Amino acid sequence: MQEPDRHEPPNFGTERELLETFLDYYRGTLLVKCAGLSDEQLRQRAAEPSTLSLLGLVRHMTNVEQNWFQRIFLNRDVDFVYSGARNRDAEFHDVASASGDQVEEDYLRVCEESRSIGRSHDLEQFAAIEDERDHVTLRWIYLHLIEEYARHCGHADLLRERIDGVTGD
Amino acid sequence: MAIIAPPRIEPAFYGPEKSQLEAWLDYHRATLLLKCAGLNVDELRTRSVEPSSLTLLGLLRHMTIVEQDWFQRVFAGNEITLDYDSPSDHNADFNDLASATLEEVEANYLRACAMSRGVVRDAGLDDIAQGADEGFTVDLRWICVHMIEEYARHNGHADLLRERIDGATGD
Repeated sequence: MQEPDRHEPPNFGTERELLETFLDYYRGTLLVKCAGLSDEQLRQRAAEPSTLSLLGLVRHMTNVEQNWFQRIFLNRDVDFVYSGARNRDAEFHDVASASGDQVEEDYLRVCEESRSIGRSHDLEQFAAIEDERDHVTLRWIYLHLIEEYARHCGHADLLRERIDGVTGD
Repeated sequence: MAIIAPPRIEPAFYGPEKSQLEAWLDYHRATLLLKCAGLNVDELRTRSVEPSSLTLLGLLRHMTIVEQDWFQRVFAGNEITLDYDSPSDHNADFNDLASATLEEVEANYLRACAMSRGVVRDAGLDDIAQGADEGFTVDLRWICVHMIEEYARHNGHADLLRERIDGATGD
């Protein structure tokens, strides 16, 4: 995978500016953690007994983006890239034949679709369908995705360090 | 002595901006304590994902001074001494763990979080930090979103540290 173009969020601004830029910062961070590694390294379960791999994380976040922005927020009939968000963990585990370049291409396309959806709706708008308990707002989706990305990037930090020693934000 | 898992409240699915930010921040404060709960101090000091030097106790100390630094020093402009400040080691919060007691680390952390909550409660998200370095303008909104992502990232570290200590996993 290639080193992405990643921008630091501005240090002050409107709610929307900060939510969009922080989320994009973390979309970029996940790719930064993958950049320069071979497919074999990207598939490595580098912190066992955890089953996490960098490639699994990118595939997972692809499904997560589709699930929140397309399925839940817009109630689209989504063709999930990795066998459906309901099929738990297939995106994490079925990485044996996955290619880094293909995973990256699918991920970038899905992120662009999420950006377009997010930009064109009010932060107070409710999702079209319920999650497990209730309807979420777009604001909640942004905040949740920022913290979900950040947490998985924490996983990615340690996976990467154990693969080739590289650290950093 | 071990840390007792705190009650953790899932953020509401809707609500005004400020209460959503406060709720997510508190969720991750509680998550860090959950990741530490039930372990003894030796386990909390264990570098369980080497070559990383991170430990759960180090993360708790780190987030204590991160809370103090952003909310008390930078935002409120208070002159404070950070709990784990060492002139000889910039990363003393992470590294200097041999003599750290769990009681003290937990008490310092809870106190710092309570102070931060008070600072946020009394301010507006558009308010500009009073104690930022010369030439650096930052508002409370940025600090809150940054703290959520910083906590969440360190909680990702905590996930793998914990799993390699005793196999425990979970959000």
